[in-house]
Amino acid sequence: MTGERATLANSIRKLRLEHGDMTQQELADRAKCSRQTIIMLEQERYVPSLVLAMRIARIFRTPVEKIFTLRDI
Amino acid sequence: MSHMSPILWIIVALAVAGGLLYVAVRRTQRHLPPLTLPQGEKLPKTALQRLAETSFIAVATLSAAAATIVVFFGVEAFWDRDAVRLSATGFVLAALAVFTYYSLRVAAWSARDDGKLDERDRAILASAPAAQAPALMVTLAAWMIGLTESFHTTAEVPTVFLYLIFWSCTMVTVASLLAGIVVGYRRS
Repeated sequence: MTGERATLANSIRKLRLEHGDMTQQELADRAKCSRQTIIMLEQERYVPSLVLAMRIARIFRTPVEKIFTLRDI
Repeated sequence: MSHMSPILWIIVALAVAGGLLYVAVRRTQRHLPPLTLPQGEKLPKTALQRLAETSFIAVATLSAAAATIVVFFGVEAFWDRDAVRLSATGFVLAALAVFTYYSLRVAAWSARDDGKLDERDRAILASAPAAQAPALMVTLAAWMIGLTESFHTTAEVPTVFLYLIFWSCTMVTVASLLAGIVVGYRRS
């Protein structure tokens, strides 16, 4: 990286579908956030806090770095 | 210029400030990827967003009703006639009651950890007061200019304007906080 802007890509939608077609609302309830936040996360319009990222990682039983990856833009 | 009522000055200044705020909001908006939702589906609103929108509409409507009474009957009637003053004050107090209800609900949600108020809501809530200081400055500037222009020759400002300045600043503070939350969701 040479100081360019970066965004946090994620595979939440893919993981949700792999986990028995979990709905956005179900994930939101389990992650203790709103469905709007899940939609914003999935569409990479919102960067979560470490706490929320780790809650989501725990729900999917996947390391947090496998769900969230830094992407240069 | 000196024949223009102070109340009209306030209305003109707030309209100008609203226009400037809109331009500033558009210019500083972050460039986010477009939001794509399944056909026919709308972005679900959060509990805070619904509460803030409803409260803003109620506060703005009640404040506008109070301002309309003052403008319609005139400042002298507002000061001299109890019915006029009590009606306008009643609308303002009703607006404050709405804001109190909003504040209590948000405080109750903040104390819980069930996701009713999540981290994104809290971030928007924390950034919302940014709108208050500019709104208050514009209101006070409008009063200063309006009163100076209107009472420059007599060099005496009627006491009633202290009352009106206080209530207008209070209402602008409340409404701009709620507007900050509503705008916060549109910008993020």
